[in-house]
Amino acid sequence: MSDDVILEFDHIDKYFGDTHVLKEISLDVTDGDVCVVVGPSGSGKSTLLRCANRLEEIQAGEIRLDGQSISDPDGDINRLRQRIGMVFQSFNLFPHKTALENVTLAPRKVRGIDADTARQRGEELLEDVGLLEQATSYPNQLSGGQQQRVAIARALAMDPKVMLFDEVTSALDPELVGEVLGVMRELADDGMTMMVVTHEMGFAREVGDRVVLMDEGRIVESGAPESFFGDPNTERGEQFLSKIL
Amino acid sequence: MADSYSSASPEANAVADGFLDDRTLKYLGVAVSSFFALGVVLLVLYILASQVQFGLVPTILPQFISAYGLVLSIVGISSVLSVSSGIFVGLARVSKTRITSGISAAYVQFFRGTPLLFQIFVIYFGVPTLWPGTFPVQNWGFPTAIIALTLNHAAYVGEAVRGGIGAVPDGQMEAARSLGMGYVQAMREIVIPQAWRNALAAVGNDQIILVKDTSLLTVIAIPELIQQFRDVNSATFDPWTPLVLVAIAYLSITIPMGRLVTYLEDRADWGGETNE
Repeated sequence: MSDDVILEFDHIDKYFGDTHVLKEISLDVTDGDVCVVVGPSGSGKSTLLRCANRLEEIQAGEIRLDGQSISDPDGDINRLRQRIGMVFQSFNLFPHKTALENVTLAPRKVRGIDADTARQRGEELLEDVGLLEQATSYPNQLSGGQQQRVAIARALAMDPKVMLFDEVTSALDPELVGEVLGVMRELADDGMTMMVVTHEMGFAREVGDRVVLMDEGRIVESGAPESFFGDPNTERGEQFLSKIL
Repeated sequence: MADSYSSASPEANAVADGFLDDRTLKYLGVAVSSFFALGVVLLVLYILASQVQFGLVPTILPQFISAYGLVLSIVGISSVLSVSSGIFVGLARVSKTRITSGISAAYVQFFRGTPLLFQIFVIYFGVPTLWPGTFPVQNWGFPTAIIALTLNHAAYVGEAVRGGIGAVPDGQMEAARSLGMGYVQAMREIVIPQAWRNALAAVGNDQIILVKDTSLLTVIAIPELIQQFRDVNSATFDPWTPLVLVAIAYLSITIPMGRLVTYLEDRADWGGETNE
């Protein structure tokens, strides 16, 4: 295990009832890397991501953030989650809070940062995602793309070490996908460690440092995007690419 | 107005093109409701003109005013108590701890499953006899009213709150937890404010029913509004004068309450329902 591994999946198994959805998965995400997880629906890629901040419990193995166990039931999961940002397919913005309040709520209530500092930082983040003018808008006054950008700013407000993106463009109208991917690309360029579950192969190829293909609960192929998209090692990889390209 | 449905497929609208097409239905609705409204207005005018003895009003008004004040105070106290304890009943109901949710469910089953009148009797007649020695409370009627209305309506408010919490998408809790909030904090900051909005109409409905439920207190001789009607009616054999006063009294409480609920719902609008 190298020192700069930030997020580490160590032989994890996950069951939904009798269904074995993640089968002995091991994966290291290195500091500053963008790890893109692709695969057909039902392959377990979103579940894998949700295990990384314990929105799903695993039944065997261990997941570590910076060497600290996430899956340890006695660990302080609330503390660990502050260092793992998560962005959801359905945005999940808080509808009763304005865009700015969505961003500042957790820093204030969880971190105990004072209102002024939180607001300043919140406005910076909204500016970074191009939405400072919408600071006082409520989520249902924003387009899907704008909501998702606010959701990214909200996750970043906790200064996470890793950002998890769970099919964040899947619920968007096609013309709004670009603005969200643009924000993610900038984030990657700034050196954020990211784990991205997506169907956007263009994004995977351009921004990914590593592409992981999952199928039926297993990682079937993993490698740099050039080799993954250029010359897959496995038959399953070839099949998958032939369907999506 | 020719809408896209009727122009698209004539066969599909064959039924609508018969007697009950949109236009006929609209005029039929206007006719029926106008006829009904006219009937009610005429009946009320007839009662006011021929049945109500306005000369009696000054005599009986003081007792109605004091009854009105009493109803207001019973409603005020039991509203606050039933809504605040109802929130806890609802929270207990969605608890992941079996025993907590089970007890809450049993509570709701009992208080929703037996008549309020029965509950009033249990508290008014039943409880004092359980006391070892003499029951210490002299005027047990008023406390009975508060306790019965609170216990009963906390069950209904609890169900409304449970429904409101259930209608908040799971993603809200997940988003809050993924930001590092604990369960209690996420409930307080994120889920409950939204659940409250969802539950407002049902809670408001229940509180309006609470106002009307005070009429049952006449059976334990609380001097509320129905009790005043019975007094006046038996003394004067005039039903309509006190009935009109009773109606005015209840409506002057329940109509503003309905307005208040609408106002609270509008205030929790959070930017309206429209997407840009």
